[in-house]
Amino acid sequence: MKNPDEPVVLLIGQPNCGKSTLFNAMAGHKAQTSNFPGTTVQHTHSRVAIGGRTLNVIDLPGTYSLNPSDPAEKVALTHLFTERPDVLINVVDASILGRSLELTLELLDMGLPMIVALNMSDLAEKKGIQIDAGRLSARLGVPVIPTVGVHGRGIGGMIEAVLRCLDVPCLPLRSPRWSSAVEDPVGRLEAALPEDFPCVANRRFTAVQMIETGDSFCASFLEELRPELKRILDEVRATIELSRGLPAYEAVAAERHHLAQKIFEDASTVRRNLPRTPSERLDDVLMHPVLGYPILAAVLLGFFWLIFKIGGPLETLMLKPFSGLKAVLANGLGDGWLGHVADGLLQGVGGGAAIVLPYFLPLLLLMAILEDVGYLARAGFLLDTFMHRIGLHGKSVAPFILGFGCNVPAVTATRILESRRDRVLTSLLIPFIPCSARTTIILALIAYFLGPLGALGFYAANILLLAVLGRILSAFFKEDSPGLILEIPSLKLPRPKSVLLKVYIQLKAFVRFAWPLLIGGSILLSLIQFFGWDRTINVLLKPLTTGLLGLPAALGVTLIFGFLRKELSLLMMLQALGVAYADLPRVVSTEQMVVFTVFVSLFIPCLSTLAMLAKESGRKVALASAVLSLVVAVIVSVAVRLVF
Amino acid sequence: MIDLLQAPCGLVLRVVDIAGGEKVRRRLFSLGLHPGDRVECVSRGILGGPLIIRPGENGSTIALGRGIARKIIVEIVHEES
Repeated sequence: MKNPDEPVVLLIGQPNCGKSTLFNAMAGHKAQTSNFPGTTVQHTHSRVAIGGRTLNVIDLPGTYSLNPSDPAEKVALTHLFTERPDVLINVVDASILGRSLELTLELLDMGLPMIVALNMSDLAEKKGIQIDAGRLSARLGVPVIPTVGVHGRGIGGMIEAVLRCLDVPCLPLRSPRWSSAVEDPVGRLEAALPEDFPCVANRRFTAVQMIETGDSFCASFLEELRPELKRILDEVRATIELSRGLPAYEAVAAERHHLAQKIFEDASTVRRNLPRTPSERLDDVLMHPVLGYPILAAVLLGFFWLIFKIGGPLETLMLKPFSGLKAVLANGLGDGWLGHVADGLLQGVGGGAAIVLPYFLPLLLLMAILEDVGYLARAGFLLDTFMHRIGLHGKSVAPFILGFGCNVPAVTATRILESRRDRVLTSLLIPFIPCSARTTIILALIAYFLGPLGALGFYAANILLLAVLGRILSAFFKEDSPGLILEIPSLKLPRPKSVLLKVYIQLKAFVRFAWPLLIGGSILLSLIQFFGWDRTINVLLKPLTTGLLGLPAALGVTLIFGFLRKELSLLMMLQALGVAYADLPRVVSTEQMVVFTVFVSLFIPCLSTLAMLAKESGRKVALASAVLSLVVAVIVSVAVRLVF
Repeated sequence: MIDLLQAPCGLVLRVVDIAGGEKVRRRLFSLGLHPGDRVECVSRGILGGPLIIRPGENGSTIALGRGIARKIIVEIVHEES
């Protein structure tokens, strides 16, 4: 498993302290960053060659403490305990040093070689906090390196410290101890741990973890296997609780908090009553109880208006050469199977380039900017009240907004939610968010042929549908949502590098996986048409297509392919009807266009989303989601038909 | 003593107790809100919206739903100046 020649370096820290940015600075841009606590929900590995050595650098999701309260934090801890790191880099947000040190103290207790990266030190100075890195290092016993990840400042020093630490392990001092009322009982439990007890990190750390986790720490196991130890654990916890008048975990947390506060005060000077910074003043407006809402509406409207304004003309421009090429091909290759395959190929390549990319690219770009600025958390705050109406709270807003880009990462992002109820409910609703694929269809069909207002109406109706569904679904969940606790990160200027990186990563995924699927699907449809199989499929689906939805029977086959990739339905629609894009209104009515868009948007989560749902929440939830979407799609489509 | 929801925004407050279950308490501790510490209510959303608070001396900014805010018992600190 572990290669002895490749030391493992683990980045760990609280959410949104800039681990991924530091990781990118070390590993050369591999992880996605953003300004929202909990962006990294999975770990990222990277082999980095520095100074003739290869390091295995691992970026972990942020965790507030070593007692996890959501699945993303659990990922961090599992890796911390199983990767056997040679060096830990504890990334610390210098602008909130007091709180960040609480995790640092927990990590020191593990007794592993460690370096503290004092990140965002520029932001701390702006807030009037001057930190003496030398003093802090003396108090903690490990090297402290001031860094500014976004500007790459201090990275060289950090890497040097890591290399030094690999040669001569920079072990923490005997960790700073707590007051005797807590320390003595900890010592008693530590001494009582049998020699062969499966310790994590070291005996003291294990003892503290046992006291803190208390009943949830395999208590029943312990009862059965080591009744004596269980008795001592209970006694020790009772001693602490009696002397402090607090639950044991709280007494330990309080000790840690006071120690962290003391170290913070000792190592830093704080200037008070500084004038509010421009970003703080901007925040006052963005999160203003009244003004915040029109701004939010303007941001979201501007978002789609821009995508349409950039995408529309681009689409018109790009379509021309492809329709020319199509005519040339049709003349040159005739009506044989070769002609069909070539037509399918062109349809797939051209559709991807001319219809999908013009909308997809600006959407990715704007989304990345919105994320980087830190607006998602503000939107979460502003929309909390409305989310309560549908049985959720503001923290679900970020996965929802991410869903406008792609539903797949949105489902993964539900890991930031603390309760399973919220995660399942949010995951069931995400497939109803029109992702970039569906936005392409909406813009290419509704906005292009019916005008931007039509598309806007479509979006509004879609969001209303989401709200109604949320309301209905939440009635099925007995418990209540625990309520919103969300850290609001500081506003930051979007950095071109990280925005472009994010666009690049997603674009690469599109070109690699989705586009080939579009091309393959188009060619497959050509062949199906060539052999005449489409007629059989269309006849089978006729009750649905013409009966319920009132669509041309020829579209039946396209719906099936929409399961692979929603845009495929759009490209195939043209192919199946045998018309050029601009001639579409001649063969389908406005009503049919709207019904088609509604049905394709809603009818089933695409294959990748469904797979992710199954992975994150289990097959039952994925199945429920598929059935739910199908039922909702039919009901809404029929309703739309009746209205027209 | 009042809960954070009733407390006036803009004054310096001190957390007396967090009257919630272990999960909520742990979450709030880890975000830097501890009994005995100062806390500032920055603003309060309209229509039952969440509160914006800043715990501790140099804490971060945190949005709290009303249900959670109701569980946080505070007292007003009278600054002698």
